[in-house]
Amino acid sequence: MTNALEIQTVSVPGRLHETTLALEAGKLVGLVGPNGSGKSTLLQVAAGILPGGGEVRWAGRRLKDIAMLERGRCAAWVPQEAHFEFGFTVRAVVAQGRFAHGDDERGVGEALARFDLAGLAERPVTRLSGGERQRVLLARALVTEAALHLWDEPLAALDVRHALETLRLAKELARGGRTLLLSVHDLRAARHFDAVAVLQAGRLVAFGKPDDVLTPECVREVFGVRARMAEGMILELP
Amino acid sequence: MSTTAASSVAQVEARRGGRLAVPVALGALVVLMGVSLAVGDLPLTVAQIWDGVWHRDELAGTVLWNIRMPRLLVGMAIGAGLSASGLVMQAYFRNSLASPGLLGVSSGGAAGAVLAIGLGLAAGRAALFVTPLFAIAGAFVATGAVVMLAQRGTGTERLLLAGVALNAFLGSVTSYVLSNFTLTYERNAQIIFWLLGGLEDRAWEHVWMVSPVIVAAAWLWPLGRSMDLLSLGVREAQSLGVDVNKLRRQLLGLSTVMTALATAVAGTIGFVGLIVPHVLRLLVGPDHRRLVPLSLIVGAAFMVGCDLIGRAAGLRVGIVTSVIGGPFFLWLLRRSR
Repeated sequence: MTNALEIQTVSVPGRLHETTLALEAGKLVGLVGPNGSGKSTLLQVAAGILPGGGEVRWAGRRLKDIAMLERGRCAAWVPQEAHFEFGFTVRAVVAQGRFAHGDDERGVGEALARFDLAGLAERPVTRLSGGERQRVLLARALVTEAALHLWDEPLAALDVRHALETLRLAKELARGGRTLLLSVHDLRAARHFDAVAVLQAGRLVAFGKPDDVLTPECVREVFGVRARMAEGMILELP
Repeated sequence: MSTTAASSVAQVEARRGGRLAVPVALGALVVLMGVSLAVGDLPLTVAQIWDGVWHRDELAGTVLWNIRMPRLLVGMAIGAGLSASGLVMQAYFRNSLASPGLLGVSSGGAAGAVLAIGLGLAAGRAALFVTPLFAIAGAFVATGAVVMLAQRGTGTERLLLAGVALNAFLGSVTSYVLSNFTLTYERNAQIIFWLLGGLEDRAWEHVWMVSPVIVAAAWLWPLGRSMDLLSLGVREAQSLGVDVNKLRRQLLGLSTVMTALATAVAGTIGFVGLIVPHVLRLLVGPDHRRLVPLSLIVGAAFMVGCDLIGRAAGLRVGIVTSVIGGPFFLWLLRRSR
């Protein structure tokens, strides 16, 4: 079976060292690691927006064989944060996700509703909070209808309800056959993913099922903290 | 009404207004064109203009065809070119304070043109090609320098300081030509003309010289949507399917050539590329599909209007745009983050 994403011995000088990773279609995969471990770099190389040594394939096709416009239909990258210089409306930014589809605006209304943005649709993005901006970027990724989603810390700026809803959406997308690679800092969230990849100092040090990978030993080794399994407050959507 | 609701209403109204913007701007341009053809030492009525255009009124025809029409067309072309250049640079650098004058691209064009005059290459019919080519070369040197300096960031301070440095350097090139070349009185007068910026004595040869602006404008027209995405950032645009490298090459090439042609034909006329796109963005929002045609039309109208003010007040058009643009720029700087 062809992998949805293959990263083969990809290197970016000083940031990522000969990293190889393959994701099956329909999987939700977490990317964890300390600050500066290369998560954003790996996501950008995978999205084809940062050149790196090695090779990247989407659904078996070499990235360099895929035309730029088609790339916009195949994969959706969500940046860690966005700086908006000009006051496009929320609706306009979300609709930009349809650029590679001829700007048909399909699914824009649903995506706005899905991320609680319908009431903010006509507001300039320059006047949003960090969490609201994050939701705009996620809504834009959703309307691309891409098979591959590469989201850089999508939960970082979100409140707990929106974070849980985003996780639920990610799982739905994966169940629908999409492949998602999400960098996250919350290791508890990553435990619910299909797989977890652990980066340390620009190297992939572990990849597999969360229970197999996120062991107390691994967490101590990579993050330098003690991990203990315990039932704390359980947060769930109603 | 809550602030959010009020802002929503304002946005919707801005979008509605945007639909009317092109016809309104075209109407304003046509009126200004008519006024520009009518006023002067020999005031002309609409009937006289009509007769003059068809050579039925000899005096009016001579004034229109030899003096006012070339001046009007040159003014429109450079206004449209400078305004569109400013719009492109603001999207490219993701900074609403970027413009050909402030970044030094106009100075590069002027230094190139002055060098051509100083070397004695811009004489006779050769001037038609040599001056714009030298201006384009000078403007590309300046653009290249700005792009290189902006690689490490396009924040307001960085861009403006890069512009200050480039303007100073290119100004010194101009001063060097003025002080070290053996120049005739005529050539010195020509050079002073570039430095002041004006539309006096523009003839049909200048119309032909600046006419490639029309080609550049037609090329730019369909790039508005891609400019929207580029204005969010290079990587974001690329991830959404924009061929960013190709787009950026086109945008830089077009804005540089338009600025250089405007400078070659009328000298350095500042602030047009800053004022027009900014005011348009306030009026119709940031959608470049709308801003590209509007900046061309309103840029042309703005230049014709400034020229009319200059003619009435006895000032060169470059001085008029600077008198309006200087305080406007300071206001923008105060507003910017």
